[in-house]
Amino acid sequence: MAPDVSRVVRGVTFALLAIAALAVEVAAADTRPVLHSFARAAVWVGVAGLLAWRLPVPAQPRQRPPWWVTGVVLTLALAPLAVEPFRRSHWSEGYPFELQMVMGLRNAGLALAACSGWLLCLRLACVTSLFLMLFAAAMTNHPASFILLGLYTACGGVWLMLVYWSGLQKVFAVPEREVAIEVQAGRIRPPWVSLMAVLIVSGSTLAVLAIGPRQLGVTFGELMPTSGGTGETDPFARYGIGDGPEEVAGDNAQAAGMVETDTMIEDNKNALIDAVSDMYGMPHKPPKHQDKMVAGGVTKVIENHGQLPENQRPSRDFDTSRQGRGPGRKPSSRLARGLFEIEGRTPLHIRQVVYTHYDAVRHEWIEARKPATSHLEPEGGDWMRLGHLRDADWYSENDRHRIKTAAMNTNWVPTPTLLTRFRIKKVDRPQYYEWDYEGVLALAGRRKTPPGIVITTECRTLEQSRLPPEAFPTPGFNPHLEEVPISIREEISHLARQWTGDHPRGWPQITAILNKLRSDYTLDRDIGAPPDHRAPVLWFLTESRRGPDYQFATAATFLLRSLGYPTRLCLGYYASPQAYDRETDHTPVRQSDLHFWPEVLLRDGHWLVVEPTPGYDTLPALQPLSERLWNLLIAIRDVALRHWAVITLITIAWGFALLYRRTLLDRLALWRWWLFPAATWQEQVRQAFRILELRARWAGRPRPIGRTVRAWLNHDFSSIEDCRRFAQLMEQASYAPRDASPGVQSPRDLCHSLLIHLTYSRIRSLPPPVVPKAPR
Amino acid sequence: MTSTDPIDRLRQALNSALRGKKQVIEFVLACLLARGHLLLEDLPGLGKTTLAKALATAVGGTFARVQCTPDLLPGDITGFSVFNQKTREFEFLRGPVFADVLLADEINRTTPRTQSALLEAMAERQVTVDNVRHQLANTFFVIATQNPVEHHGTYPLPEAQLDRFAMKLSVGYPQRDDEIRLLGAAIGHLPGDGQYPVVLQTGELGELQQRVALIAVEPNVRGYLVDLAHATRTHPKVTLGLSPRGLLIWQRVAQAWAFLAQRDFVTPDDIQAVAQPVLEVRLGLAPEANRSVIRELLESVPVPV
Repeated sequence: MAPDVSRVVRGVTFALLAIAALAVEVAAADTRPVLHSFARAAVWVGVAGLLAWRLPVPAQPRQRPPWWVTGVVLTLALAPLAVEPFRRSHWSEGYPFELQMVMGLRNAGLALAACSGWLLCLRLACVTSLFLMLFAAAMTNHPASFILLGLYTACGGVWLMLVYWSGLQKVFAVPEREVAIEVQAGRIRPPWVSLMAVLIVSGSTLAVLAIGPRQLGVTFGELMPTSGGTGETDPFARYGIGDGPEEVAGDNAQAAGMVETDTMIEDNKNALIDAVSDMYGMPHKPPKHQDKMVAGGVTKVIENHGQLPENQRPSRDFDTSRQGRGPGRKPSSRLARGLFEIEGRTPLHIRQVVYTHYDAVRHEWIEARKPATSHLEPEGGDWMRLGHLRDADWYSENDRHRIKTAAMNTNWVPTPTLLTRFRIKKVDRPQYYEWDYEGVLALAGRRKTPPGIVITTECRTLEQSRLPPEAFPTPGFNPHLEEVPISIREEISHLARQWTGDHPRGWPQITAILNKLRSDYTLDRDIGAPPDHRAPVLWFLTESRRGPDYQFATAATFLLRSLGYPTRLCLGYYASPQAYDRETDHTPVRQSDLHFWPEVLLRDGHWLVVEPTPGYDTLPALQPLSERLWNLLIAIRDVALRHWAVITLITIAWGFALLYRRTLLDRLALWRWWLFPAATWQEQVRQAFRILELRARWAGRPRPIGRTVRAWLNHDFSSIEDCRRFAQLMEQASYAPRDASPGVQSPRDLCHSLLIHLTYSRIRSLPPPVVPKAPR
Repeated sequence: MTSTDPIDRLRQALNSALRGKKQVIEFVLACLLARGHLLLEDLPGLGKTTLAKALATAVGGTFARVQCTPDLLPGDITGFSVFNQKTREFEFLRGPVFADVLLADEINRTTPRTQSALLEAMAERQVTVDNVRHQLANTFFVIATQNPVEHHGTYPLPEAQLDRFAMKLSVGYPQRDDEIRLLGAAIGHLPGDGQYPVVLQTGELGELQQRVALIAVEPNVRGYLVDLAHATRTHPKVTLGLSPRGLLIWQRVAQAWAFLAQRDFVTPDDIQAVAQPVLEVRLGLAPEANRSVIRELLESVPVPV
């Protein structure tokens, strides 16, 4: 007999395997669409489901599975290997060998779940599902795998509960209901012979590989082309960090996962100056005295630092008088290679060069000085904390990012703004780092930051609108950073006063400036100020009202400085949310993401990014969970208010469907029974009885499993006309020989009449049946 | 449809002999038609002998009664050989076992040795005496009785013997009205005056039993029977599960029950209806747990639809 608890346990076991199968398929290729992976897994789950449906259930779960179960498991396990050549030849896709083996294991687990009527198969299926789930969880961090992991955990909990319950039933109830747990009275003897055989075979293999001919090892290595093997034979090998030949970041930055490595290699990539010129166009032909001025700048740098750093070569001073990029750039040319990739929230400003002084004669921004002290304090686990920053209460939760370098030109270490601490694995001493500028980190003593390293950063986040006035220094706090060229000071101050009006000091004033620039001015990267204009920024503010982002940043810097805010200009990269790669879960940053923005000094020593350029945003505050939930509720409310009519209609429709779901389903079943009658009158009668059973179950009066058809119908529905005749007919249909006559003229009419009269609502309204006497 | 006339007449005759016990008589009829043997466990004076006599007369056969005592010998039941001085040969004198209906009264009072003498007769319908096999009637039917109250000087029937019985019944006390009618019927008649009618002609019982054996049992119903048997073997309170012989007897009794209901196929209702008397005799159950365990078994095994 098939106990009902056993059936449920088998169902849950199959569900565990189905979830694990989906997870493995997602993990196998997490860059393809999830539905695609689900569809693939569904094929094998469907095959196993068919098997489970057709395979018999043993009366004694503990008995040894028959020989054909092994055949079924092996056939399904080897099926992926058989299918693989067709996939490769017909669909030009495939799995590496080790994944084929995992898929084989998945199929074996599904087959075992289909045969889980035998206790041994059920246990093996469960262990297999656990392994597959762990494999999937370790392989990928795809969101779908986390959802599946949660589902698996929930399902596993139910499984454990059921098994525990069936174990209890062994104590309190009939033993045939207990399913999976059995208490062994005696000590189980381990299978020593099998264990020794496995040890001998595996040990011998390893020994032969270790001391045998090299070719043997190579041959075995070829079987695992993507697990650090040769990587040369399988065209469908996985590529990327940690996989085969791409263990070190290679040409494909997109394929690079976040793997921490200390590999340091250098190459000859283009310098930042080339990227800036490519982005913003070349400067206008410099006046004749340019050489002298540039030489002076370099001299000053050498005086300060002793030697000229690589990333502070001459000409890195930024010229604001440029001719623009001009037409003719193809869109494809913007898709330069990725410099680094960010894992975490965006938008993010990554500063590389900081400018504090403006040369009004040459219309150039001059780089800031290199800080004298490092301010770095080591923490545990290779973390470095920025020690010189004071605490402030206007920040929200800290945010964490992971940045992986790919093709860096200098020894620059990209970090987000408002940085509090960071970590590069194994680079664990403060003297390994230096500051190019205040807030711009670099690796000391290196020409270039090697590709493939991962920088983990923790930065503060804040809601700018909640900044109190005391967060900003009073005017005159740092005159050096509040300086506006004399030649344009009057116009700039006038504009600033005009735009800020009566706004109080602090963020309201700043945001007034920013809003004006963002709303009334247009971003146009291809336009440049006339070469003979006395001040490009004035030309931008008063004449063209359009320009590239450096003009926005420069204008905002001067406007804010004129109001007494210590402001500086930064050149760096803008990690845009639009660039987020859903498949890799990273945001690649390319040379085309170069961007200028101003930063305002806060009282605690942090530099606050302000964004005057339209289309660019700053990183929003990381809200606590409660606040996010609240915002979600607000958003839902807003959506509901906007679409109240449609939502009301849908809700009412669903409400009715839910309320009358049983009536609807009953009608559907009845129509199906009537419109598509079964081939034989016996099957028609049996189908009618099943509809009746369904109605009774919904009405809370199901037929007990040990109650016969006649006893149930005559007892529970004795008041219904035709019930006795139908019971007789049903007995005739179910228990009489096939060729027996039904005993009534039209069995279908009798069934139909009963089904019409004994509706779901009628069953509900019937008085409760008297408890039947014990069978005698 | 099967003709029910002889059955109705048989039923009527037995109901006249034992009033107010229709259910018991139905089981007795089923047992008879299934060619099984009957164990009646009840107190003295409840009509066991009356029922046996009436049945023996009704089926048109001979009736024999053995009062089992501790000094009863196997030969007293099976018969024995004596030396005939005239013919100078041993002659076999048949015992009561050669009757068509044998009433073994208070069977648990005789020794196991004598009880075992009935084993071969009940199972194979033959007895072997002095290495000579003697065939019994095909319709040989044993009704044994035992007293459930007195246990002094008794020998409980071994499981092997119990398994030979098709069912165990209790007649029980009649209802008040039936007892009044019983008293009324006895007025004007002396004990021993009563004559029971002969209902069946010679060979007619065998024909009926043959027809019962032809009642259809579909695979799903057979599966249900086997599931029930498995359930008895794994139930914690059942010390002795149903044997294959018991399973065969159960099916045969269910066929007889369907026959009595004028049906030519067996339904799960038939199986459930005869489950109690069939299982009670062969499951190693404590008497007080009998009913609840059998009900539990029937409620736990899904009925095929």
